[in-house]
Amino acid sequence: MERRDFLKASLIAGISTALPRQVFAQSDTLKLGFLFPKSGPAAIFGPSSETCIKLGVSQINAAGGILGRQIEAFTGDAGGAPSDTVQAAQRMWRSNGIVALIGQHDSASRAAVIGSIHGQIPYIFTALSEGGFCQPGLYALGETPQQQLGPVIPYLAKAKGASKWYLVGNDYDWPRKSNDIAKPMIKASGGKIVGEEYLPFNVNNFDTTLSKIRDSGADAVFITLVGSASVGFNRAYASFGLDKQALRLGTLIEENTLAGIGAENSKNLFSSVGYFDALDTPGALAFRAPYYKTFGKDAPVLNTASEGLYEGLLFVKAVFGKAGSTDPKAFAAAAEGATYEGPRGQVTMKGRFVNSNVYLATAEGAAFKIIESFQNVDPGTVCTN
Amino acid sequence: MDASLFFLLNMGYGVLTLALVALGLAVIFGLLGVMNMAHGEFIAMGAYSAYAAQSAGLPLFVSLPAAALVTGAVGWLIEATVVRHLYKRPFDTLLATWGISILLREGIKLAFGVDYKSVVEPVSGSTGVLGIDYPNYRIAVMAALLVCFFLLFLWYRKSHASARVRAMIANPELAAIVGINTKRLASLAFVIGAASAGIAGAMLAPLVQIEPYMGINYLLQSFFVLVVGGLGSFHGLFIGSGVIGGVASTASAAFGGTGGYVTLLLISILFLWLKPEGLYAGR
Repeated sequence: MERRDFLKASLIAGISTALPRQVFAQSDTLKLGFLFPKSGPAAIFGPSSETCIKLGVSQINAAGGILGRQIEAFTGDAGGAPSDTVQAAQRMWRSNGIVALIGQHDSASRAAVIGSIHGQIPYIFTALSEGGFCQPGLYALGETPQQQLGPVIPYLAKAKGASKWYLVGNDYDWPRKSNDIAKPMIKASGGKIVGEEYLPFNVNNFDTTLSKIRDSGADAVFITLVGSASVGFNRAYASFGLDKQALRLGTLIEENTLAGIGAENSKNLFSSVGYFDALDTPGALAFRAPYYKTFGKDAPVLNTASEGLYEGLLFVKAVFGKAGSTDPKAFAAAAEGATYEGPRGQVTMKGRFVNSNVYLATAEGAAFKIIESFQNVDPGTVCTN
Repeated sequence: MDASLFFLLNMGYGVLTLALVALGLAVIFGLLGVMNMAHGEFIAMGAYSAYAAQSAGLPLFVSLPAAALVTGAVGWLIEATVVRHLYKRPFDTLLATWGISILLREGIKLAFGVDYKSVVEPVSGSTGVLGIDYPNYRIAVMAALLVCFFLLFLWYRKSHASARVRAMIANPELAAIVGINTKRLASLAFVIGAASAGIAGAMLAPLVQIEPYMGINYLLQSFFVLVVGGLGSFHGLFIGSGVIGGVASTASAAFGGTGGYVTLLLISILFLWLKPEGLYAGR
């Protein structure tokens, strides 16, 4: 520590003992920025994101904060165009002085944001994604297709006899890369691909795709449609009775999407990800119980997207604690091998991606039921730069 | 055989529902010359009315008149407060109704939240049609639409009301002079357009995704139909729905979802460019 800093620190310490605690907390908070969709079609995750952040911040602050400092949270909207998300990130960074950015949003915004902050503050991306990105200063906590599919495809092949797969997704990066990763896994499990199709976001008539699935003789459909497209597709899928022909596996069918699909349309539907509201492991319950106790029974339902932001906080606390400062270089060094216990279980960072647990759930009416867990699954991406 | 019958049924369903969805936009544009940008939100309000009816424990057929009542009332209010003052200023009505669409969408968010809603099919299961299984509710919707459109067609051809409407379009001043209350007629036309969009939303609610942004796609589809069929005539509505629905099914079967959508856009652009009056210019 420099002499100047030491003097400053002792001075602040001296004053702080003389002043009431709250004043101290306000003047020397640790500022964190959060990016999540508040507007647009993904705004469905807005309310639950906000409550998850509130819960995490209040829990950490009650336990003494990070590096002895109370957390002050700032939020920005990531539901619009990537350029707007960048502006929100810049505002929190330049004006509010955040020392780390935690975000759950689409990949286009992620690429734009990392391109504008260049690793000058750590950027923790918590949403599940296609993986494979390695810009310095970017840390990915979300699941990759390797994690969500690696153990699950062989399981479904064995337990449910899935062998003829039809792949359907929206026409953009995440579904295409997910399918590229899924294909060799399907082949390795003894199955084959009987169809592959990408749909624009604004399609709301799925008849053509559904009749192709029907004619293809598929016994499993891998779905990477997102949001309302997934809801519309799955509703029509069931109305044509295709749920009797082929099981459905989705890697982004979370609690809200399932509610939209509806209890009567959810037969033979599987979802794999690291967190479900229905998860009842000790780690998950330690998160879930205070959440619904704080925000009430009618609180926005927990889901993988918003839960990620809570884990972002746990991760930042672990790494800042290990680094002993908020310096981004120290953060980068401390992040490697950093580990924490969260709702998903134990999470360990390796090459800026994490090994974590993955759960396979099946829909029972409009709720999920966990049927299998896979421990400490490898993310398939290791950044070495 | 199976596959082609399935394809034909799907296409029939596509064309009929497209005509239903576009009807409200066609009525309001054809009779009043207003491009109602809030059309999609009226459909969304219809779907949410069905959801509200279901939540209140009412049967779905109750939701059809309920949706018509809600959207008709909102339509009446909008016509009386905003649109009425902007007739003959097409660009201003476009902007005004665009603003109204945002207002309605935010209203839906406030009332129902941003999450997806699910409406249960009133009749479930499927029926064997010539050896293939087709969902019952779809069959019911198609049958109801065929009957409704046929009655509408007869009314449009024969009734006194439609003669007055046509008089008003042909010459508003003269119509007013011979004693037709054009102001009331215009208001009525807007209400009917809005209510038909509401009925469309309620009828389709069990089959589609319901969320605050759902309207935009329906507005686009309806717009394509009118561009191809001709802006504002009853025959044009069906020709447009047939072309758009048929092309959408065929092209997406041949080129996949993205290819199908691109084909639709190309056709619409070509029509706007080369045949701006559409195939059946009723006016």
